Amino acid sequence: MRKSWFMLSAVLILAALSFATVPAQAAGARKIVVATDATWPPMEMVDANKQIVGFDIDFMNAVAKEAGLAVTYKNTAWDGIFAGLASGQYDAIISSVTITDERKKNFDFSDPYINIGQIIVVPKTDKITKKLADLKGKKAGAQIGTTGAFEIKKNAGVELKTYDEIGLAFEDMAAGRIMAVVCDEPTAAHYALQKQEYKAKFKIVGEPFTHEGYGITVKKGDKELIALFNKGIKAVRAKKLDEKLRKKWLR
Amino acid sequence: MSTSESPQSHIDVGDGAAIPTKSDVGLFTAWRIAFVGSIACCIFLAVYKPDPYLAIFKFVPDGILVTFKVTVGAILLAIVLGLFTGLGRISTNRLVNGIASLYVEVIRGIPLLVQIFYIYYALGRFVRIPDLFSAIIAMAVCYGAYMGEVFRAGIQSIPKGQMEAALSLGMSRRQAMRHVILPQSIKVVLPPIGNEFIALLKDSSLVSILAVSDLLRRCREFASESFTYFETYTVIALIYLVITLFFSKLIGIMEERLNAGK
Repeated sequence: MRKSWFMLSAVLILAALSFATVPAQAAGARKIVVATDATWPPMEMVDANKQIVGFDIDFMNAVAKEAGLAVTYKNTAWDGIFAGLASGQYDAIISSVTITDERKKNFDFSDPYINIGQIIVVPKTDKITKKLADLKGKKAGAQIGTTGAFEIKKNAGVELKTYDEIGLAFEDMAAGRIMAVVCDEPTAAHYALQKQEYKAKFKIVGEPFTHEGYGITVKKGDKELIALFNKGIKAVRAKKLDEKLRKKWLR
Repeated sequence: MSTSESPQSHIDVGDGAAIPTKSDVGLFTAWRIAFVGSIACCIFLAVYKPDPYLAIFKFVPDGILVTFKVTVGAILLAIVLGLFTGLGRISTNRLVNGIASLYVEVIRGIPLLVQIFYIYYALGRFVRIPDLFSAIIAMAVCYGAYMGEVFRAGIQSIPKGQMEAALSLGMSRRQAMRHVILPQSIKVVLPPIGNEFIALLKDSSLVSILAVSDLLRRCREFASESFTYFETYTVIALIYLVITLFFSKLIGIMEERLNAGK
């Protein structure tokens, strides 16, 4: 009996210790949870060690360091990532979110931290497509709720197919069910130029045809976090850290 | 304390049948409240707050059409698959019986969502199946297994004497099955097929994962652009409810007609 009491108290003390060490690490820094949809390489993805990595993650860490924030990441499906922010499940989103007017009506954004454009990826056998309008009568894929999907929709006659993850759109194009994929240029480059199984099949068409700025997204009216993020972004820029990250992730 | 109750009498509970019957007054009222209520909700929302409700209602009709296509296509294919599976399951031929049983066991052991992914993406590497069609195949392959069990139970519920009588009249086993057993078992299997149909209608929402623009996918597209999550998911729940209630009633009426002929 005495032995089991000893064991129990030992376990309890160990448990208490392990919990106690967590806040000790982040003493002083404000803790925030940031959501990201880690299916958008090279901006945010899950690596072989199941860690969330990418340009956005490194950038966010750099910003957090300058702004005195302690960040934990939450891998969240894109479809619903904004709903989660609105319902307070996390404090911010960094997930290649383009600042658009429609989104600005519902959420607040930091200053844009990188400029990127939409680009078209087609199978190598396609010799005709130069722009979206050339895809009339064909199916084009994009991730649901992304600016790529909105761009396709603007072209009447092009049938939009939306996917939960951009990787599924590329896989569907490899299977021949759609004739084009529209997404952010770095992601397009990752799939069409770097991925072994797609390199021989896909090509990128022309240059990016939109100009978009990514911003860190927060709940409407969260001025405090926006101020902190903008301060951090400014400091990161001043130290030219963003240039370094660009070289590391975007080539 | 009543002494008339026998110790074997069961507790009287409703088993939650999806199909209401006319004699079941309680269920009928619940059905009516739900059906009229959900339609009234739809109309009220569209009129009272056209932005965004009316916009959502205008956005989704082609999605409803796709949902119907998937459901009807899958149920027809599943009935054919199920009939053969059911016959296979009662077959005395060991090979046929083995194949049918294996199909049922394997399919029932894999989640529908995984099957859908498998048929669409994993097999998509080898065979090129159009998207809507592969969604239908995935649903049909899954429900064919369940349907097979429905048919097996339906055939086995016909008294043995029927088969013996048919055989003694000089019919072959096949003839007896076709002209005596199967026509009688249709009455038995129709209600469970109706239940499967409604289950399939609801499960068809899973194909939205395949970029098939069904009702759920259309709503998600709308929500992802307008951020009206509450409104959109309210509407989609109401639409599914109205459709499901409508069909459950229809099947209930059909069943009563069949029973009336008894």
